[in-house]
Amino acid sequence: MNQASRRLRAIFIAVPSLTMVAVLVLPAIGGLRLSFDHNGAASLHYYREMFRDAMFWRALINNLILPIGSLIVEFAVGLGLALVLTARPKRSRLVEVAAILPFAIPEIVILTLARYLLMPRGYVNAALVAAHLHALPWISPSAWLAMVSVIVVDAWHVTPIVMLMLIAGLETIPPELYEAAALDGAGPIAAFRYVTLPMLTPAIIGALVLRGIDALRIFSTVLVLTGAEGVPVLSTYAYGLWSDSQLPREAMAASMILALLVTIIGIGGLAAARKWAPRQTGLA
Amino acid sequence: MGAAANGAGMSALTQRRTRAALEAARWILSALAIIAALVPLYLLVKQSITPELETFAWPPKWYPHHLTPAHFETIFAVGELRGALIRSIGVGVGSAAAATILGAMLAYAMARGPSGRKIGFAAVSGTRLLPMISVAIPLGIALAMLDLYDQPSAIGLAIVHCAIAVPTAALTLYAAFAAIAPEIEEAAWLDGASPLRIFLSVDLPMARGAIAAAFVLCFILSWDEFGFALLLQQTNRTLPPLLYYYTTFGNVGPASALAVLMMIPAVIVVIALGPVLRGSTLATGTR
Repeated sequence: MNQASRRLRAIFIAVPSLTMVAVLVLPAIGGLRLSFDHNGAASLHYYREMFRDAMFWRALINNLILPIGSLIVEFAVGLGLALVLTARPKRSRLVEVAAILPFAIPEIVILTLARYLLMPRGYVNAALVAAHLHALPWISPSAWLAMVSVIVVDAWHVTPIVMLMLIAGLETIPPELYEAAALDGAGPIAAFRYVTLPMLTPAIIGALVLRGIDALRIFSTVLVLTGAEGVPVLSTYAYGLWSDSQLPREAMAASMILALLVTIIGIGGLAAARKWAPRQTGLA
Repeated sequence: MGAAANGAGMSALTQRRTRAALEAARWILSALAIIAALVPLYLLVKQSITPELETFAWPPKWYPHHLTPAHFETIFAVGELRGALIRSIGVGVGSAAAATILGAMLAYAMARGPSGRKIGFAAVSGTRLLPMISVAIPLGIALAMLDLYDQPSAIGLAIVHCAIAVPTAALTLYAAFAAIAPEIEEAAWLDGASPLRIFLSVDLPMARGAIAAAFVLCFILSWDEFGFALLLQQTNRTLPPLLYYYTTFGNVGPASALAVLMMIPAVIVVIALGPVLRGSTLATGTR
């Protein structure tokens, strides 16, 4: 059985892996070469040009601020919802479906909706005016408020994923631990602090790494809400260079900086997850 | 133990106050979740069935005053939309079928050997590190050279969607193959079946539930995918980039109708497939 089945397994690994490499990795390598190619010679020309562009530095900084902001919101709300949904023996089906729904809706639909809610004469401003408050420029390009809007909308769509990952973590905590804590006189806050939080840490780290890698690649939220240059991030900056300015090499240079950023943070995060949360990330 | 000292030190009154505060927090969060999910959806559906004047009014109308099927009629009458709908379905079905086959192969190898598991997880997490934009631009150039860029059939996009869906399919199927007892395969081996034959007529039928789930998940992944679709199908669009153009160019009515239409399969599937989806979401952690 061994020889023949080993050969089959080798083929079964090779065919899908090579497909992914050919479609996803090879183009990225081609793009890397393109970004260093200036009139046929290897050169840092496009990178030097880019480092002189103020828009690039704004995109780079936003590409760190927005993911961090989004992670904070989605983990705070996600943890809260996970605790609400696991607190009672009988779960509220309505809250459960409502909590998962934003994730079920296609991303572009969520963003379309967000645009109608936040545009200058949209529903949010209508509600503010009805409450005798001032209308606010929620998605005006360059406003700091637009960054808040991007963070909240990004978190809105993905909080259910965080919630589901944390619920899975919460469900592995043995109920006996809570019974023991209650016998020792621990109130709900002490039980959370000394039982839930330590037991949940691996799930939180695992979720943080997976979500963090995804959050760094933020693209559609920014593009749909504010346009490519309203609140630039590296993806939309590269997209603008390619699609509006027809500058593929400059665009590749920018996207390679993003790839570098994701790879460094991703490899660091995956190593951390392997150490502290091997089961949650399937890296055991 | 710190917890005990802490808890016992609290007066009964403080404890009662804490519980009341927690109960209030629970209600607020539940209400927030329901509002965040349902109010925007209601407004979207409302916009899709009322005249645009009601949406553009200031302040905008919160309730429908006149109902009209005009926006849905528009999107089905416009050839661009019918083309996009057919294209989205075609890309979704084609890429999901191919990704499920490739994912089944990978998942089987991962479930049957430690080296397969290692390589499989490396491939699955490695491709996740690549940002869409770093792949899509050079891929667009490469597809243009192969004459596959922006084709009406969207074949280039289908190939990409297949490649990005393989990890989803593999992680959905991995547990199903791992759960099949080795004794069953050994029995088939003793009956003289080849390894490929065993895979095809023993493992695949036993995993058919998971295979169906993997196919549906890959279809939804393609149906929802926006970035590659925007960059690779600039004129022969699928639904997500079409909705993006409708939204940015201010066609509120048709855009809302299109958004409602796009939402239907995804919402049905997520609610119907809840538990399966949960497993695969936990494994990939991505949207």
